[in-house]
This record gives sequence, C-alpha cells and structure tokens, in this order.
Amino acid sequence: MKKTTLFSIILLVGTLIARGQDTIVSQELQEEPKFVISGEFLTDERFLLKKDNDWVWNENRLTLKLDKKIEKKSKFHSEVWLRNIGLPNIAKSSDLYNKGIIDPYNIEIREAYIQVIGFLTKNLDLKIGRQRITWGTADKLNPTDNLNPYDMEDILDFGRHRASDAINLNYYINNNFSLQGVFIPFFQPANLPLGVFANALYPTMELPKGMTLRGLSDTLLMSKYNLGESSTAGFKFKGMVKGFDFSLSYIWGRDGLPVSTRNTFIPVDTSGGTNINSQLSYTRNHIIGADFSTSVFGIGFWGEAAMFLPEKDVIMTNDLSAFYPMSPVPVTQDSILLEKNKPYVKFVVGVDYLFSDGSYLNLQYLHGFIHEKGSENLNDYFFLQYDKSFFNERLKIVPIGGAFIVTDWKAVKDNYAIVYNPQIFYKATADVEINLSSVFFFGKGDNMFANLKDYNMFMLNLKYSF
Amino acid sequence: MKKMTFSLLVSSVLLLAGTYVNAQDASTILKKMDNVMFSSKDMVGKQKVVLISKNGNKETRESTIKQKGTEKRLMRFTSPASQAGISVLSLPNDVMYLYLPAFGKERRIASSAKNQKFAGTDFSYDDMESKSYSNKYTPKLLKIETNVFVIELTPKASSDYSKLIIYINKVNFYPELIEYYDKGGKKVKEAKYIFKKVGNYWSATEIQMTDLKTNHKTKMQMSEVKYDTGLTDDEFSLRKLKD
Repeated sequence: MKKTTLFSIILLVGTLIARGQDTIVSQELQEEPKFVISGEFLTDERFLLKKDNDWVWNENRLTLKLDKKIEKKSKFHSEVWLRNIGLPNIAKSSDLYNKGIIDPYNIEIREAYIQVIGFLTKNLDLKIGRQRITWGTADKLNPTDNLNPYDMEDILDFGRHRASDAINLNYYINNNFSLQGVFIPFFQPANLPLGVFANALYPTMELPKGMTLRGLSDTLLMSKYNLGESSTAGFKFKGMVKGFDFSLSYIWGRDGLPVSTRNTFIPVDTSGGTNINSQLSYTRNHIIGADFSTSVFGIGFWGEAAMFLPEKDVIMTNDLSAFYPMSPVPVTQDSILLEKNKPYVKFVVGVDYLFSDGSYLNLQYLHGFIHEKGSENLNDYFFLQYDKSFFNERLKIVPIGGAFIVTDWKAVKDNYAIVYNPQIFYKATADVEINLSSVFFFGKGDNMFANLKDYNMFMLNLKYSF
Repeated sequence: MKKMTFSLLVSSVLLLAGTYVNAQDASTILKKMDNVMFSSKDMVGKQKVVLISKNGNKETRESTIKQKGTEKRLMRFTSPASQAGISVLSLPNDVMYLYLPAFGKERRIASSAKNQKFAGTDFSYDDMESKSYSNKYTPKLLKIETNVFVIELTPKASSDYSKLIIYINKVNFYPELIEYYDKGGKKVKEAKYIFKKVGNYWSATEIQMTDLKTNHKTKMQMSEVKYDTGLTDDEFSLRKLKD
C-alpha cells in the first residue's frame, strides 16, 4: 500500500513537472499533441517432441502501447500486456467455476512513465514512472543490466526484464558524452520460470547419505520497504571517442534472485525422511560495470563486464539441531557462499558480421549466466547464430543457432550442454510474422541446459503488429 | 622510321591530352552534379518506399528523414506497424546506430552493413549514403548524348561495384540514370531519378532502383521536403535517436 502511495505521489509530481514544462515550452510548439495507440498480438505455442507431445507453453498476448505527446518536450508512454497464459490446471469440479483456472489470464503494466526532455536545463531529460532501463552493449545477455528485475517467466527468452518504478535523469554533456542517474525506491525481485522450466535454475540438491527428502518449504526474507533497505541507485557515464562507444557504471542494489541462507532439517520418520525449510534472502551488492562497442574492418565488436562486490559475507547455515535433541547447543554447519572481500566478475564479448549475400553471423562468449553467483560458480557459455534472409527479407532462415556450455573444463565430456535452436521466420504480410522453430538440449552434468534435455520442443510463434 | 616514331609520339601526346581533357571534363561535370545533389546545408522530409516484386505485388514503408551536410542522417520508420519506431542514425566515419523500440536501446551497427540491402529494399546502405560522388569515385567521360553526359565512375575505395555508369542531365546537372556493375562487369542494378526544383535546390522526388537479377523494384518517393531549416548537430545524436 505504502509502495503504491509513494509511487502515485512520484507519478503525480512527475505529471505536474511535465505540465509546468509544457507551459515553459509552449511557445516552441510545432506539432499538435498526438495520442497514438499501437501494439501487437502474439501467439506462442510449444509442445514437446518426445512421445505424447505434451503441450508446454500456451500464450496469447495482446500488447497495447499508448503514447501521448503532452507537449513537444514531454510525453507519456505506457505498455500493457493482456494475456491468456498457461494451460488449464483443472483438478476438481469446483475449478470449473473459476475462469482463471480454466483459462488462465493476467494483466501486466510493463511500462508507464512520463518523460520530460529539457527538464530545468536543455541538456537534462527526466523520466519518472515504471520504466525499462536497458544497460549494456551485448545481445540479450548483459551482465551490466542490473537495475530492472529479471523476468524469467520464459527461460528461453534470455535477458527479458520487467520494468521498475524509477526516477531516471540523463544529462547530455554534449552529443558524445552523457551522465545518467537512476533511483529506484522499491526493491522488486525477479520472477521465476514457469511450467516445465520451473526448476531449471536450481541445482540438484545433495543430501547426506541415509537422508531422504520428504518435503521442502521456504520462507522468503524480504527487505523492509524503506529507502535505506529497499532502494536501488545507479550511475552511468557514457561516451563515444573516435568511433568507440563506451560506458562506465555503478549500481548499489539487491540481486533479484534469492540465495538460501538458512536450511532447517527436520526428521519426519525413522527411515531418514526429512523435511527442509529454507530461508531465502536477497543479497545487496555494489556492481561496477563497463562496456564498449565499435566496428573495425566492417566487423562489429562489443563487450561488457560487471564486478559484483557483496555488501557483506553471505553464509549458508544448515541447522541439524532437530537430529540431535539432546545437544545443549544448536548443531549447525556454516558454509560461505559469497565473500565481501572476494568480488566476482561476469563478462561477455561478442562479434558480428553482415555478409554481402544477406547472411549474418553473431558470436558471443559469456562468463557467468544470469543466476550464477560467486567466482567458483560462473560457467562458460558460447552462443552462435548464423542466419540468411531471402526475398527482400520476407524469409529468414537460422540453420545454425544455439549455445555450447561448459561447467567444468577439467572434465568437459561429463559437464557440458549443447543447445541447438534452428528457426524459420516468414513475413506473411508487412505486419504479420510467423516463426517456426525447435530447440534441442543435449548434455551431461548439473547445469541449467543439461537439465532441460527432456524438454526438446517445437515452437510456433505468430506476431501481428498494429 | 624517325617519321613513324614522331607520329607515334604525337599520337600518344594527343591521346594523353585527350584523356586529360576528358578527365577534367568528367570531374567538372561530376562536381557540378555533386553541387546540385548535395549543396543544401540540411534537409528534412518524408520518404515513402514502395517495394514491387516481379509479380507486381506492392509493399509500402514510410519514414521521416533528416539530414545535415553529407554525413549526418537520421531516418525513422513510421509504417508499417511492425517497423514503426525503428530508427537509423548515420554519422561520419561509418558510425551507424540502429534503434529498435522492442529492445529500448541503440545498437551499434557493424560497418559491414554498408554492403547490405537497406531495410529489405533494393538500395544498399552504401547506395543510400549522401557522400559526394567526386570523393568516392574516379570519373571518366564516356560520351556526350543529346540530353546527357555519360560518365563512368570507378570506386576509389573497396566497393561491391566495379563501376557505375551515370547519365547526367546536360542542363541542370542532376543524374537521370545510374547503372551499377558488379565485380564481373555485369550490370546488376539501375536507378532512375526524377528531379524537381524545391526552393533553390533540385530535389530527387523519386528514385526507382531495379535489381536486374531478381527484377525486384524499389521506388523511393520524397515529399514535404524542406531545405536549410537550420538543423543543429544535436538532431543527430543518440538522445534524438531514441526520442
């Protein structure tokens, strides 16, 4: 409630500022303010390739974008998703009375903000409201893009983020250099994968010999909703020198994915059956980032790196006291997950090239996926895409697309994954695009993509823009 | 023998002199064409692109365009809906940025994109460049016809084309037709121009580019063109690209 109220006040102040600015710039008006509605309809259907061909994804999404130029130098933008997502989860007759179960749907405000260009001074832009703040130069996998929470609902849509309620100031020193300051009053955690992908991010749990997991529950320790505990701040300096784009950034905020900081083990039977309750919390980090992009001899190059410095040591405690009722002191085992004085660095480098016959090659090497934390836990990911367009870009074929992942270089053959994702895009009309694709997972060991090897699937995606 | 040598010498001198005169004429003519095409300080306008397949099927795209000098250009698509908001900023030294609204950020484009077709049209990014032809090509006068000078242009730097043959209007010095030849010397594309005077300048109101291999055509039509409106460098920045 508090969150809603404060956000409403911020939005109201923003609106008033925007209106004030409109008065200032009213003499400069050249165009009639316009209200523009645009958007797209997307249908995304997927089924497994193995026996029975189970459906694994059903999404029909209507994206509505509303844009209104309040005056020449300020504007309102919003994007709303109206969705029917998921498969019916009907278990009993009473569920048949609930449309939300028969035909799951939801509404999501993806963005809603007011932007004032030339706020107070002609070189300063202000954006207030729910907004996506994209940082980084790499394709989709951006270690420096940490202001907005990850939207991991669809694990195959790497790098998708939700927007945050934020105040965003950009000061343009000149046409080549700018400074950005962002303040996000409330921490918003990442949302986790849906459906068959739900457990993809979690490593296999190893229990002591003789112990069998009967039940798992967790308690999420959220930070308090006050400025000191839940806010995030970020700064970025961006520039371009002699065709070389770069930026340096800093963020002070919480990681949107929780870590387990306390596991309480409770025996439930005499045969080793155990319930575990985990306490999950969100660590706070200083994140120092840098990125670049350029083009040399026609080849595009980019890279970005983010160094994560935890606010304090993050320790996981396993509480086994329930197994030792006679012990006068709690029986616990501590292990350190992240050390304050041991920063870890995630980075990505990439190249791309457009060939004169219309084909395109894109290669990226990533060290440290979205959910990986701590220098010992960062794995290596190699992404490759080659595509070729035909018939004036009406048809695009991606015969080679996917990734190669190594989780242990000393024993690669038992610790790797391969993802193969061939695709065909066809523009049926100027505004209708159909995408047919498949994804195949191969691999061994305990890593996210190898864990998906039972989920090879076929995907149909149709998008109509209006 | 001496007489023959002398004749050869005279012929060679005359031939060289003729070549020199031709080269001079060709570069003068080309510079005049450059003056006609690129003399305004800046330009704003709307662009309609009609793609015509060999079966006659048409597809239309629209954009707004701003240009300052010969090296700064900002193009923003307004239709179809699937491309609306996509913007391309071209700056000096082959620096190009693409803004895709779906990603919410600009992306540096590898300069190899210059060899690519521009947004599915029959124009390459290179064809769309507004750099003066005198800077990019070495001219040679091939012939003078009733209404046009016919000049052969050889690229000074690496290019997908071995040569261009350009037909320049003798009265107003704007190009009427440009033929593009591939590395094998085969004519692969041709662009037909229609010019109209807008204010003090000759403006290409329509360019029809035909890909002779596929018989696919692209008509690029300009409207609401205004010259010398006083655009500043600020209009060609990343701030404006995302605006």
